[in-house]
Amino acid sequence: MTGVRLHPFTLLTIAAVLPALAWILPAPDGAAATLVVALVLTLTPGAKLTPGASPGNASLWSFPGWRPGLVRLRTAVVTAAPFWLFLLLLHDVPTTIAIGLRVTTMVATFVWLVAALDPARLVEAMVAAGWSASVAYLLAATFSAVPVLKARAQRIVEAQRCRGLSPRGGIPARLRALRALALPLVLSALHEVDERALALETRGLVPGIRRTPLAPPPDPAAERAARWALLLVCLVALVRRFIVQPFS
Amino acid sequence: MSIRLLALIPVATAISLALSAAVDAVALPLFLDTTGTILATALAGPGVGIATGIVTSAVNTLRNPTFWPFVVVQIIVALYAWVAARAGLFRSFRTAIPAGLGLGVIASLTSTPISYFVFGCTTTGGIALATALGKALGLPPLGACFFGSFVSDFGDKAATFALVTSVLHGLPRRTAARFPWALRAMGAA
Repeated sequence: MTGVRLHPFTLLTIAAVLPALAWILPAPDGAAATLVVALVLTLTPGAKLTPGASPGNASLWSFPGWRPGLVRLRTAVVTAAPFWLFLLLLHDVPTTIAIGLRVTTMVATFVWLVAALDPARLVEAMVAAGWSASVAYLLAATFSAVPVLKARAQRIVEAQRCRGLSPRGGIPARLRALRALALPLVLSALHEVDERALALETRGLVPGIRRTPLAPPPDPAAERAARWALLLVCLVALVRRFIVQPFS
Repeated sequence: MSIRLLALIPVATAISLALSAAVDAVALPLFLDTTGTILATALAGPGVGIATGIVTSAVNTLRNPTFWPFVVVQIIVALYAWVAARAGLFRSFRTAIPAGLGLGVIASLTSTPISYFVFGCTTTGGIALATALGKALGLPPLGACFFGSFVSDFGDKAATFALVTSVLHGLPRRTAARFPWALRAMGAA
Protein backbone atom coordinates (compact mmCIF):
# COMPACT_ATOMS: atom_id res chain seq x y z
CA MET A 1 0.00 0.00 0.00
CA THR A 2 1.34 3.38 -0.84
CA GLY A 3 0.75 6.62 0.92
CA VAL A 4 -2.05 8.92 -0.11
CA ARG A 5 -1.07 11.16 -3.02
CA LEU A 6 -3.06 14.33 -3.21
CA HIS A 7 -4.19 15.64 -6.58
CA PRO A 8 -1.78 18.29 -7.94
CA PHE A 9 -4.52 20.93 -7.87
CA THR A 10 -5.08 20.17 -4.17
CA LEU A 11 -1.37 20.63 -3.49
CA LEU A 12 -1.38 23.95 -5.35
CA THR A 13 -4.51 25.10 -3.50
CA ILE A 14 -2.92 24.36 -0.13
CA ALA A 15 0.29 26.12 -1.23
CA ALA A 16 -1.73 29.18 -2.25
CA VAL A 17 -4.09 29.29 0.72
CA LEU A 18 -1.60 28.82 3.57
CA PRO A 19 0.64 31.83 2.74
CA ALA A 20 -2.45 33.88 1.91
CA LEU A 21 -3.91 33.10 5.36
CA ALA A 22 -0.55 33.94 6.96
CA TRP A 23 -0.84 37.44 5.53
CA ILE A 24 -4.59 37.83 6.05
CA LEU A 25 -4.90 36.60 9.65
CA PRO A 26 -3.76 39.01 12.38
CA ALA A 27 -0.14 38.55 13.48
CA PRO A 28 1.38 37.04 15.48
CA ASP A 29 -1.29 34.44 16.40
CA GLY A 30 -2.70 33.84 12.93
CA ALA A 31 0.70 33.73 11.25
CA ALA A 32 2.03 31.43 14.01
CA ALA A 33 -0.87 29.01 13.43
CA THR A 34 -0.26 28.88 9.67
CA LEU A 35 3.45 28.40 10.29
CA VAL A 36 2.80 25.38 12.51
CA VAL A 37 0.66 23.83 9.77
CA ALA A 38 3.31 24.58 7.14
CA LEU A 39 6.14 23.10 9.22
CA VAL A 40 4.10 19.94 9.88
CA LEU A 41 3.45 19.71 6.13
CA THR A 42 7.19 19.72 5.38
CA LEU A 43 7.43 16.48 7.38
CA THR A 44 4.58 14.69 5.61
CA PRO A 45 5.24 13.84 1.92
CA GLY A 46 7.21 10.69 2.77
CA ALA A 47 4.75 9.36 5.35
CA LYS A 48 3.24 6.08 4.19
CA LEU A 49 1.18 3.24 5.62
CA THR A 50 3.42 0.26 6.38
CA PRO A 51 2.67 -2.75 4.13
CA GLY A 52 1.30 -5.68 6.11
CA ALA A 53 0.76 -3.81 9.36
CA SER A 54 -2.33 -4.97 11.20
CA PRO A 55 -5.15 -2.57 11.96
CA GLY A 56 -5.09 -1.25 15.47
CA ASN A 57 -1.40 -1.90 15.76
CA ALA A 58 0.49 1.12 17.01
CA SER A 59 3.12 0.48 14.35
CA LEU A 60 0.53 0.81 11.58
CA TRP A 61 1.86 4.28 10.87
CA SER A 62 5.54 4.10 10.33
CA PHE A 63 7.36 6.99 8.81
CA PRO A 64 10.06 5.85 6.39
CA GLY A 65 9.86 9.41 5.14
CA TRP A 66 10.87 11.00 8.42
CA ARG A 67 14.45 11.54 7.33
CA PRO A 68 13.58 13.33 4.07
CA GLY A 69 10.91 15.16 6.04
CA LEU A 70 13.51 16.42 8.50
CA VAL A 71 15.71 17.45 5.58
CA ARG A 72 12.82 19.46 4.15
CA LEU A 73 12.14 21.02 7.53
CA ARG A 74 15.81 21.98 7.79
CA THR A 75 15.73 23.38 4.25
CA ALA A 76 12.74 25.55 5.16
CA VAL A 77 14.39 26.79 8.36
CA VAL A 78 17.74 27.48 6.66
CA THR A 79 16.02 29.33 3.78
CA ALA A 80 13.95 31.46 6.13
CA ALA A 81 16.74 32.23 8.61
CA PRO A 82 18.36 35.10 6.62
CA PHE A 83 14.99 36.86 6.40
CA TRP A 84 14.76 36.92 10.21
CA LEU A 85 18.28 38.31 10.40
CA PHE A 86 17.57 41.10 7.91
CA LEU A 87 14.17 41.82 9.48
CA LEU A 88 15.88 42.29 12.86
CA LEU A 89 18.37 44.58 11.16
CA LEU A 90 15.64 46.75 9.63
CA HIS A 91 12.65 46.57 12.00
CA ASP A 92 11.59 46.42 15.65
CA VAL A 93 10.91 43.07 17.32
CA PRO A 94 7.07 42.93 16.93
CA THR A 95 7.34 43.75 13.20
CA THR A 96 10.15 41.22 12.81
CA ILE A 97 8.00 38.51 14.40
CA ALA A 98 4.92 39.40 12.33
CA ILE A 99 6.70 39.48 8.95
CA GLY A 100 9.10 36.66 9.87
CA LEU A 101 6.25 34.26 10.70
CA ARG A 102 4.55 35.08 7.41
CA VAL A 103 7.67 34.71 5.28
CA THR A 104 8.59 31.46 7.03
CA THR A 105 5.09 30.09 6.38
CA MET A 106 5.52 30.94 2.72
CA VAL A 107 8.98 29.36 2.52
CA ALA A 108 7.98 26.17 4.37
CA THR A 109 4.84 25.75 2.27
CA PHE A 110 6.79 25.99 -0.98
CA VAL A 111 9.53 23.66 0.27
CA TRP A 112 6.76 21.15 0.92
CA LEU A 113 5.14 21.84 -2.46
CA VAL A 114 8.37 21.27 -4.37
CA ALA A 115 8.82 17.92 -2.60
CA ALA A 116 5.21 16.81 -3.04
CA LEU A 117 4.39 18.06 -6.53
CA ASP A 118 5.42 15.90 -9.47
CA PRO A 119 5.54 18.17 -12.58
CA ALA A 120 4.54 15.27 -14.85
CA ARG A 121 1.41 14.63 -12.74
CA LEU A 122 0.60 18.33 -12.81
CA VAL A 123 0.76 18.37 -16.60
CA GLU A 124 -1.47 15.28 -16.79
CA ALA A 125 -3.93 16.90 -14.38
CA MET A 126 -4.00 20.10 -16.41
CA VAL A 127 -4.62 18.21 -19.66
CA ALA A 128 -7.35 16.14 -17.98
CA ALA A 129 -8.98 19.33 -16.68
CA GLY A 130 -9.21 20.67 -20.22
CA TRP A 131 -6.34 23.16 -20.12
CA SER A 132 -4.73 23.91 -23.44
CA ALA A 133 -1.91 21.56 -24.37
CA SER A 134 0.22 24.67 -24.95
CA VAL A 135 0.03 25.69 -21.29
CA ALA A 136 0.88 22.17 -20.17
CA TYR A 137 3.80 22.17 -22.62
CA LEU A 138 5.13 25.47 -21.27
CA LEU A 139 5.41 24.05 -17.75
CA ALA A 140 6.79 20.67 -18.75
CA ALA A 141 9.30 22.08 -21.27
CA THR A 142 10.55 24.72 -18.84
CA PHE A 143 11.11 22.19 -16.06
CA SER A 144 13.11 20.00 -18.45
CA ALA A 145 15.02 22.86 -20.16
CA VAL A 146 16.32 24.56 -16.99
CA PRO A 147 18.67 21.76 -15.81
CA VAL A 148 19.88 21.18 -19.39
CA LEU A 149 20.84 24.83 -19.88
CA LYS A 150 22.34 25.09 -16.40
CA ALA A 151 24.60 22.13 -17.17
CA ARG A 152 25.53 23.69 -20.51
CA ALA A 153 26.31 27.01 -18.81
CA GLN A 154 28.67 25.20 -16.46
CA ARG A 155 30.38 23.46 -19.39
CA ILE A 156 30.81 26.80 -21.18
CA VAL A 157 32.33 28.34 -18.04
CA GLU A 158 34.84 25.46 -17.82
CA ALA A 159 35.61 25.55 -21.56
CA GLN A 160 36.24 29.30 -21.57
CA ARG A 161 38.49 28.98 -18.51
CA CYS A 162 40.48 26.31 -20.38
CA ARG A 163 40.90 28.82 -23.21
CA GLY A 164 42.36 31.33 -20.80
CA LEU A 165 39.34 33.46 -19.94
CA SER A 166 40.01 35.18 -16.64
CA PRO A 167 37.05 36.20 -14.50
CA ARG A 168 39.26 38.54 -12.45
CA GLY A 169 40.14 42.20 -12.70
CA GLY A 170 38.05 45.34 -12.70
CA ILE A 171 34.37 45.61 -13.56
CA PRO A 172 34.96 46.21 -17.34
CA ALA A 173 37.12 43.06 -17.53
CA ARG A 174 34.51 41.05 -15.65
CA LEU A 175 31.73 42.35 -17.91
CA ARG A 176 33.75 41.29 -20.97
CA ALA A 177 34.21 37.85 -19.37
CA LEU A 178 30.48 37.68 -18.66
CA ARG A 179 29.73 38.42 -22.33
CA ALA A 180 32.10 35.64 -23.41
CA LEU A 181 30.27 33.23 -21.10
CA ALA A 182 26.67 34.31 -21.68
CA LEU A 183 26.67 34.81 -25.43
CA PRO A 184 27.45 31.18 -26.44
CA LEU A 185 24.85 29.95 -23.97
CA VAL A 186 22.05 32.22 -25.21
CA LEU A 187 22.84 31.81 -28.90
CA SER A 188 23.04 28.03 -28.67
CA ALA A 189 19.73 27.97 -26.79
CA LEU A 190 18.04 30.14 -29.43
CA HIS A 191 19.26 27.84 -32.20
CA GLU A 192 17.34 25.03 -30.46
CA VAL A 193 14.02 26.82 -30.84
CA ASP A 194 13.56 25.63 -34.42
CA GLU A 195 14.31 22.02 -33.46
CA ARG A 196 11.79 22.19 -30.64
CA ALA A 197 9.16 23.76 -32.90
CA LEU A 198 9.68 21.02 -35.47
CA ALA A 199 9.38 18.33 -32.79
CA LEU A 200 6.13 19.86 -31.54
CA GLU A 201 4.66 20.07 -35.04
CA THR A 202 5.65 16.46 -35.71
CA ARG A 203 3.78 15.42 -32.57
CA GLY A 204 0.68 17.33 -33.59
CA LEU A 205 0.77 19.96 -30.88
CA VAL A 206 -1.24 22.78 -32.37
CA PRO A 207 -2.16 25.73 -30.10
CA GLY A 208 -5.74 25.44 -28.86
CA ILE A 209 -6.09 21.71 -29.47
CA ARG A 210 -7.24 19.39 -26.62
CA ARG A 211 -5.16 16.30 -25.91
CA THR A 212 -6.19 13.04 -24.25
CA PRO A 213 -4.28 12.51 -20.97
CA LEU A 214 -2.38 9.24 -20.74
CA ALA A 215 -2.68 8.66 -16.98
CA PRO A 216 -4.72 11.42 -15.32
CA PRO A 217 -4.28 11.52 -11.54
CA PRO A 218 -7.45 10.57 -9.64
CA ASP A 219 -9.42 13.55 -8.39
CA PRO A 220 -11.98 12.32 -5.80
CA ALA A 221 -15.05 14.44 -5.08
CA ALA A 222 -13.89 14.87 -1.48
CA GLU A 223 -10.67 16.51 -2.64
CA ARG A 224 -12.51 18.80 -5.02
CA ALA A 225 -14.84 19.81 -2.19
CA ALA A 226 -11.85 20.35 0.13
CA ARG A 227 -10.24 22.67 -2.42
CA TRP A 228 -13.35 24.81 -2.65
CA ALA A 229 -13.66 24.80 1.15
CA LEU A 230 -10.07 26.03 1.50
CA LEU A 231 -10.69 28.84 -0.97
CA LEU A 232 -13.90 29.73 0.87
CA VAL A 233 -12.04 29.85 4.21
CA CYS A 234 -9.53 32.20 2.62
CA LEU A 235 -12.27 34.43 1.25
CA VAL A 236 -14.12 34.54 4.59
CA ALA A 237 -10.88 35.40 6.40
CA LEU A 238 -10.21 38.16 3.88
CA VAL A 239 -13.69 39.67 4.27
CA ARG A 240 -13.54 39.39 8.06
CA ARG A 241 -10.07 40.97 8.24
CA PHE A 242 -10.49 43.87 5.87
CA ILE A 243 -14.22 44.60 5.75
CA VAL A 244 -15.88 43.42 8.97
CA GLN A 245 -13.02 44.16 11.43
CA PRO A 246 -10.61 46.37 9.45
CA PHE A 247 -8.94 47.93 12.47
CA SER A 248 -8.78 45.03 14.92
CA MET B 1 0.70 32.09 -31.23
CA SER B 2 2.84 30.09 -33.65
CA ILE B 3 4.62 26.90 -32.62
CA ARG B 4 8.02 28.61 -32.92
CA LEU B 5 7.03 31.37 -30.51
CA LEU B 6 5.53 28.81 -28.14
CA ALA B 7 8.83 26.90 -28.21
CA LEU B 8 10.72 30.13 -27.52
CA ILE B 9 9.06 30.72 -24.12
CA PRO B 10 10.58 27.78 -22.16
CA VAL B 11 13.95 28.36 -23.82
CA ALA B 12 13.93 32.06 -22.84
CA THR B 13 12.84 31.16 -19.31
CA ALA B 14 15.64 28.62 -18.99
CA ILE B 15 18.13 31.24 -20.26
CA SER B 16 17.14 33.59 -17.41
CA LEU B 17 17.65 30.87 -14.84
CA ALA B 18 20.83 29.36 -16.32
CA LEU B 19 22.69 32.67 -16.63
CA SER B 20 23.25 32.64 -12.87
CA ALA B 21 26.12 30.19 -13.50
CA ALA B 22 27.88 32.72 -15.75
CA VAL B 23 27.27 35.53 -13.26
CA ASP B 24 28.65 33.42 -10.41
CA ALA B 25 31.78 32.68 -12.46
CA VAL B 26 32.68 36.36 -12.83
CA ALA B 27 31.48 37.36 -9.33
CA LEU B 28 29.52 40.42 -10.38
CA PRO B 29 26.59 41.74 -8.30
CA LEU B 30 24.07 41.08 -11.07
CA PHE B 31 20.93 38.94 -11.35
CA LEU B 32 20.21 38.95 -15.12
CA ASP B 33 16.93 37.26 -14.18
CA THR B 34 14.95 39.30 -16.71
CA THR B 35 17.23 38.46 -19.67
CA GLY B 36 14.81 35.86 -21.04
CA THR B 37 11.83 38.20 -20.68
CA ILE B 38 13.58 41.08 -22.49
CA LEU B 39 15.04 38.80 -25.16
CA ALA B 40 11.70 37.07 -25.83
CA THR B 41 9.99 40.46 -26.12
CA ALA B 42 12.64 41.84 -28.46
CA LEU B 43 12.36 38.73 -30.64
CA ALA B 44 8.66 38.04 -30.55
CA GLY B 45 6.67 40.88 -29.01
CA PRO B 46 4.93 41.60 -25.72
CA GLY B 47 2.68 38.52 -25.53
CA VAL B 48 5.61 36.11 -25.63
CA GLY B 49 7.62 38.39 -23.32
CA ILE B 50 4.87 38.55 -20.70
CA ALA B 51 4.34 34.78 -20.88
CA THR B 52 8.09 34.29 -20.43
CA GLY B 53 8.09 36.64 -17.43
CA ILE B 54 5.20 34.82 -15.78
CA VAL B 55 6.72 31.37 -16.36
CA THR B 56 10.10 32.64 -15.08
CA SER B 57 8.48 33.91 -11.89
CA ALA B 58 6.54 30.66 -11.44
CA VAL B 59 9.66 28.50 -11.81
CA ASN B 60 11.74 30.86 -9.64
CA THR B 61 9.02 30.69 -7.00
CA LEU B 62 9.58 26.97 -6.60
CA ARG B 63 13.23 27.79 -5.77
CA ASN B 64 12.52 30.84 -3.63
CA PRO B 65 8.85 31.60 -2.89
CA THR B 66 9.50 35.30 -2.34
CA PHE B 67 9.78 35.70 -6.14
CA TRP B 68 6.07 35.26 -6.86
CA PRO B 69 4.77 38.69 -5.75
CA PHE B 70 7.36 40.25 -8.10
CA VAL B 71 5.71 38.73 -11.16
CA VAL B 72 4.29 42.22 -11.72
CA VAL B 73 7.85 43.49 -12.27
CA GLN B 74 8.42 40.88 -14.99
CA ILE B 75 5.28 42.07 -16.78
CA ILE B 76 6.38 45.71 -16.55
CA VAL B 77 9.83 44.70 -17.86
CA ALA B 78 8.22 42.94 -20.85
CA LEU B 79 6.07 45.99 -21.67
CA TYR B 80 9.05 48.34 -21.37
CA ALA B 81 11.20 46.06 -23.54
CA TRP B 82 8.43 46.07 -26.15
CA VAL B 83 8.46 49.87 -26.25
CA ALA B 84 12.27 49.78 -26.53
CA ALA B 85 12.08 47.19 -29.33
CA ARG B 86 9.48 49.24 -31.25
CA ALA B 87 11.81 52.23 -30.99
CA GLY B 88 14.77 50.14 -32.21
CA LEU B 89 16.74 50.84 -29.04
CA PHE B 90 18.58 47.52 -29.29
CA ARG B 91 20.47 48.83 -32.34
CA SER B 92 23.64 49.59 -30.35
CA PHE B 93 25.06 49.81 -26.82
CA ARG B 94 24.75 53.60 -27.01
CA THR B 95 20.97 53.33 -27.17
CA ALA B 96 20.46 50.09 -25.25
CA ILE B 97 22.39 50.96 -22.06
CA PRO B 98 20.51 54.22 -21.34
CA ALA B 99 17.26 52.36 -22.05
CA GLY B 100 18.35 49.70 -19.55
CA LEU B 101 19.12 52.37 -16.95
CA GLY B 102 15.60 53.74 -17.48
CA LEU B 103 14.19 50.27 -16.92
CA GLY B 104 16.25 50.05 -13.72
CA VAL B 105 14.44 53.09 -12.33
CA ILE B 106 11.01 51.80 -13.38
CA ALA B 107 11.71 48.30 -12.02
CA SER B 108 12.84 49.80 -8.69
CA LEU B 109 9.69 51.94 -8.47
CA THR B 110 7.56 48.87 -9.19
CA SER B 111 9.31 46.47 -6.84
CA THR B 112 9.65 48.88 -3.88
CA PRO B 113 5.99 48.82 -2.72
CA ILE B 114 5.85 45.03 -3.08
CA SER B 115 9.09 44.57 -1.18
CA TYR B 116 8.07 47.08 1.51
CA PHE B 117 4.52 45.99 2.21
CA VAL B 118 4.89 42.23 1.73
CA PHE B 119 8.41 41.45 2.95
CA GLY B 120 9.47 44.47 4.98
CA CYS B 121 12.29 45.01 2.41
CA THR B 122 14.05 41.72 3.16
CA THR B 123 13.77 39.84 -0.12
CA THR B 124 17.40 38.94 -0.74
CA GLY B 125 20.64 39.47 1.12
CA GLY B 126 22.15 42.11 -1.18
CA ILE B 127 19.01 44.22 -1.39
CA ALA B 128 18.43 43.99 2.36
CA LEU B 129 22.00 45.15 3.04
CA ALA B 130 21.58 48.07 0.62
CA THR B 131 18.32 48.92 2.38
CA ALA B 132 20.12 48.85 5.72
CA LEU B 133 22.71 51.22 4.24
CA GLY B 134 19.93 53.56 3.10
CA LYS B 135 18.46 53.44 6.59
CA ALA B 136 21.88 54.21 8.09
CA LEU B 137 22.10 57.20 5.73
CA GLY B 138 18.94 58.57 7.37
CA LEU B 139 16.42 57.74 4.66
CA PRO B 140 12.80 57.04 5.74
CA PRO B 141 11.76 53.34 5.62
CA LEU B 142 10.14 53.50 2.17
CA GLY B 143 13.02 55.63 0.84
CA ALA B 144 15.56 53.13 2.20
CA CYS B 145 13.60 50.33 0.56
CA PHE B 146 13.66 52.16 -2.79
CA PHE B 147 17.39 52.81 -2.34
CA GLY B 148 17.97 49.05 -1.87
CA SER B 149 15.93 48.14 -4.95
CA PHE B 150 17.53 50.91 -7.02
CA VAL B 151 21.10 49.87 -6.17
CA SER B 152 20.38 46.30 -7.28
CA ASP B 153 18.22 47.04 -10.34
CA PHE B 154 19.92 50.05 -11.93
CA GLY B 155 23.13 48.37 -13.13
CA ASP B 156 21.49 44.97 -13.55
CA LYS B 157 18.94 46.14 -16.10
CA ALA B 158 21.56 48.13 -18.05
CA ALA B 159 23.77 45.01 -18.22
CA THR B 160 20.77 42.93 -19.27
CA PHE B 161 19.86 45.33 -22.09
CA ALA B 162 23.52 45.32 -23.25
CA LEU B 163 23.58 41.50 -23.20
CA VAL B 164 20.33 41.24 -25.18
CA THR B 165 21.74 43.71 -27.71
CA SER B 166 24.85 41.54 -28.07
CA VAL B 167 22.68 38.45 -28.58
CA LEU B 168 20.46 40.10 -31.20
CA HIS B 169 23.48 41.30 -33.17
CA GLY B 170 25.18 37.90 -32.72
CA LEU B 171 22.26 36.05 -34.32
CA PRO B 172 22.67 35.20 -37.99
CA ARG B 173 20.39 37.50 -40.01
CA ARG B 174 18.36 34.57 -41.34
CA THR B 175 17.71 33.29 -37.82
CA ALA B 176 16.77 36.74 -36.57
CA ALA B 177 14.38 37.23 -39.49
CA ARG B 178 12.38 34.19 -38.36
CA PHE B 179 11.24 36.10 -35.27
CA PRO B 180 8.69 38.83 -35.92
CA TRP B 181 10.28 41.66 -33.92
CA ALA B 182 14.03 40.96 -34.01
CA LEU B 183 15.02 43.11 -36.99
CA ARG B 184 12.90 46.04 -35.84
CA ALA B 185 14.37 45.83 -32.33
CA MET B 186 17.85 46.04 -33.88
CA GLY B 187 16.81 49.03 -35.97
CA ALA B 188 17.39 46.99 -39.14
CA ALA B 189 13.81 47.06 -40.41
